[in-house]
Amino acid sequence: MKLSVSQRLWVSGVAAFIGIGSLVVVGWYSSNAVSSALEHSQVIDGIDRQVTDLRFANEELRLAAMDIIIDRAERQISADRKTMLEASIKLLKGGASVVSSFAKAEGLSVDASALSADVDLIVKAAGEQLPALVTGGAPEAEFDKIDDVIDSAGGRIQTVLDVVSTATGKAQQREISAAMDQVQQSAFVQLLIGVVAILLAGGLIAWQSSNVMKGLNAVRRSMNRIAEGDTATPVDGTARADEIGQIARVAETLRKATVEKERVEVAAHEARLNADRERSDNETERQRDEEEIRRCVTILAGGLARLAEGDLTQQIDDPFRADLERLRQDYNAAVTRLSTVIGNITDQSSSIHSSSVQIRMAADDLAKRTEQQAASLEETSSALEQITITMRGSTSKAEAAGTLVEGTKVQAEKSTTVVREAMQAMERIESASAEIGKIINVIDEIAFQTNLLALNAGVEAARAGEAGKGFAVVAQEVRELANRAATAAKDIKQLVARSSAEVQTGAELVTATGQALRDIGADVVKINEHMISIVSAAREQNAGLAEINTAIGQMDHVTQQNAAMVEQTNAACQTLNEDTTRLENVISQFRIKLGMPAQSQAERPSVHANTPIPPRAPVVSTGFKPAIAPAQPGQRPRSSPAQKLMGRLENAFGGAPAKSTLQSSGQRASAQASPSTDQWEEF
Amino acid sequence: MTNVIKQSGAYLEIVSFHLGEQEFCIDIMAIREIRGWAPVTPMPHTPRYVLGLINLRGAVIPVIDMACRLGMPMTEPSERSAIIVTDIKGKLVGLLVEQVSDMMSIKAEDLQPAPEIIPEAQRAFCRGIVALEKNMVCFLNLDTVIADELSMAA
Repeated sequence: MKLSVSQRLWVSGVAAFIGIGSLVVVGWYSSNAVSSALEHSQVIDGIDRQVTDLRFANEELRLAAMDIIIDRAERQISADRKTMLEASIKLLKGGASVVSSFAKAEGLSVDASALSADVDLIVKAAGEQLPALVTGGAPEAEFDKIDDVIDSAGGRIQTVLDVVSTATGKAQQREISAAMDQVQQSAFVQLLIGVVAILLAGGLIAWQSSNVMKGLNAVRRSMNRIAEGDTATPVDGTARADEIGQIARVAETLRKATVEKERVEVAAHEARLNADRERSDNETERQRDEEEIRRCVTILAGGLARLAEGDLTQQIDDPFRADLERLRQDYNAAVTRLSTVIGNITDQSSSIHSSSVQIRMAADDLAKRTEQQAASLEETSSALEQITITMRGSTSKAEAAGTLVEGTKVQAEKSTTVVREAMQAMERIESASAEIGKIINVIDEIAFQTNLLALNAGVEAARAGEAGKGFAVVAQEVRELANRAATAAKDIKQLVARSSAEVQTGAELVTATGQALRDIGADVVKINEHMISIVSAAREQNAGLAEINTAIGQMDHVTQQNAAMVEQTNAACQTLNEDTTRLENVISQFRIKLGMPAQSQAERPSVHANTPIPPRAPVVSTGFKPAIAPAQPGQRPRSSPAQKLMGRLENAFGGAPAKSTLQSSGQRASAQASPSTDQWEEF
Repeated sequence: MTNVIKQSGAYLEIVSFHLGEQEFCIDIMAIREIRGWAPVTPMPHTPRYVLGLINLRGAVIPVIDMACRLGMPMTEPSERSAIIVTDIKGKLVGLLVEQVSDMMSIKAEDLQPAPEIIPEAQRAFCRGIVALEKNMVCFLNLDTVIADELSMAA
C-alpha cells in the first residue's frame, strides 16, 4: 500500500468523522421520536381537561334546571341562572364533537352518536322548553316530565364522560412508556456505535504512525552516519513513494555531492604544490633581467629629464638590450619629431601674428565703415520721414482735389441743363421773331394797299380838276404816311432778320457751349479717375514707405549688431596678438638643433612689433568683396522694398499714358543697369 | 398820231413809276385806277409783252408788260408790282410796272422834248423828258404804245 503521509492522516481522520457522524444521526433520530411521543401525550392531556370541564358543565346545567323548576312559582328565570345555563349549554355543544372524535380514535365502547343526541336533547329541554314553561306558567306535570328528561340525559352524558376520562388517563400512560422505551433503545445504539468507532480509529492511527515512524527513523540513522563522516554507505528508504522517500533521496544527493567535493579538494592541493616549484625556478632569471632594465631606465630617465628642460638636441646613442632597443629608437625619433614640430610652430606663430595684425586693421576699417553706414541710415531715415509727411500731405490734397472734381462734375451737369434751357429760350425767341415778321408783312401789305388807295385817290382828285385839289393834297399826305409805314415796316423787317440771325448765332454759340461743357464734364470724369488713381497710388506709396521704414529699422539693428561684432572682433584680435606673443615666449624655451626646418626667433622677421600697415584698399578688396560679391547660384537676391513700391505704382497707373510707362520702364532699365541698387543685400 | 403837248395849264399832273432802274411817267388823266398785281390769264398768239387778261369788276382788259414793251427785260411780277389801268382812246389797258413811285405836278415848261438825234419811230414813244433834281423821267406817249399794240394785234 503506497500512501503519502498526508493520505494516511486523511484515512484516520475520515474514520473518526464517520464514527462521530453516525452518533449524531442516531441521537437526532431518537430525540425526534421522543419529542413526538411527548407532543401526543400533551394533546391527550388537553382532551382530558376538556372532558373534565364538560362533566362540570353537565352538572351545573342539571342543577340550574332543577333550581329553575323549584322556583317556577316566580314565573321567571333569574339573570345569573340564565347566564349559567347559557354558558353550560355552550360548553356542552363545543365539547361534544371533540369527545366523540376522541372516542372514535381510541375505539371506545361508548356510543359517540348517542352522546351528541343526548347533548342536543338536554340543550333543547333546558335551554328552550324550560324557559318557555316557566314564563308560560305550565302545569306541574309538564315540569315533572321535563325534569325527568333532563335528569336522564344528564345521567347518560355523565356516564359517557366518565368512560372517556378513564380512557384518556390510560392513553397518557401508554404514550409516556413508549417514549421511555425509545430513549433507552437509542442510548444503547449510541454506545455500540461509539465503541466500534473508537476501536477502528485507534487501530488505524496506530498502524499508520508505526509505518511513518519506521521510515523517519531509517532516514535519521542515515543522516547521522553522513554527519559522522561515513559517506560510503548509501541512504536507506530511497525507494519509498511518500515524502519520507523524497527526504531520503535528497539526503542521498547530498551524500554524493560531499563525496565529489572531497575528490576536487585533493586535486587542487596537488596543483598548488606544482606551481610553487616552478616559481622558485624563475626567480633567478628575473633578477638578471631587472639589472639590465634598470640600466636602460636610468639612461632613458636622463634623456627625458633633458627633454623636460626643453633640450631637444640630445640623442641616446648607447644601444639597449635587444628587446628594449625599440624603446631607444622611439625616444630618438620622438625627440627628432618634437624638434621639427616646435620649429614649425615657431614659423606658424609668427605667421598668425602678422595675420592677426591684418585682421585688426581690417576690423578697424570695418568699424569706420559701419559708423558711416549708421550715419547714412540715420539720414535716410529722417529723409524718409520727410517723404512720408509730404506724401501724407499730397494724399490729403489729392483727396480734396477729388472732392472738388466731383463738385465740378455736378456743376458741369447742371450747366448742361442751363444750356438746354437757353437753347429752348432761343428757339422761343426765334419763333417770336417769325411771328413779328408775319405781323410786319401784314403791316407792309397794309401800307402797300394804302399807297395804292392813295394813288387812286390822287388820280381821282386829279381827274376832278380844280375841285379835287384839296383831296389830292390829302391823298398825297396819306401816300407819304403809307410810304413811311412801309419804310418802317421794312426797317423792322431788317431788324427782325438781323435779330433772327443773331439768335441763330447765339443758338449756335449756346450749342457750342453745351458741347464744351459736356466735354468738360467728360474731362472732369477722366480727371476724377486720375485723381482716384493718384490717391490709391499715394496710399500704396504710404504702405511702401512703411515697409522701407521697417527695412531701415532692420538695417539699423543689423548695423548696430555689426558694430558690436566689430568691437568683439577687435578685442579678439587683441587677445590673439597677446596669445601669439605668449606662444612665442613658450616656444623660445626649446633648444633646437641647427639645420632643422625651424628657425630661431631672432632670425625670423619681427612682425608684431612694427609691422607696416598694408594699404586699405587691398584689405577691403580681399577681405570683404569675395564674401558678398560672388553671386550664389540659385539664390536670388532679396528684392528691395523701394523696387516693390515702384512696381506697385506702375500697376496703379496701368492705364496711364504711354509717356509715364516709358518713364517708369526707363527707370527700371536704369535700376537693372546698376547692380548695386538691384542687389539689396549689398546695399 | 398827235404828239401835241398840252400847253393849256401851267402844270402837268403825272404819275411816275419804275421799270428796272429807269423811271418813267404818264399823264395822270389817262389813269383810271391803280391796283396791285393779280395773276393774269394768258392769251394765245399774242406778242411777248401782252401778258394776258384780267377781270376788272366784270370787264376783261389786257395787261401789258411795260418793260418788255419798251425793249427791256421782262418784269418779274411780285406782290409789290402794280397794274396801272389806263384809258387809252376809250379802251382800258392794264400796264404792269415794277413800282409806282410818285405822283407829282410839273410845270409844262419843265417838259423838254427828246433829242432829235433819236430816230422818229423811237422818239414817238416819248412825249418829253422831265428833268428832276436827282434824275430824269421819260414822259411816255401812251397813244403810241397802245396804238401800235392794237394795230399789231389787229
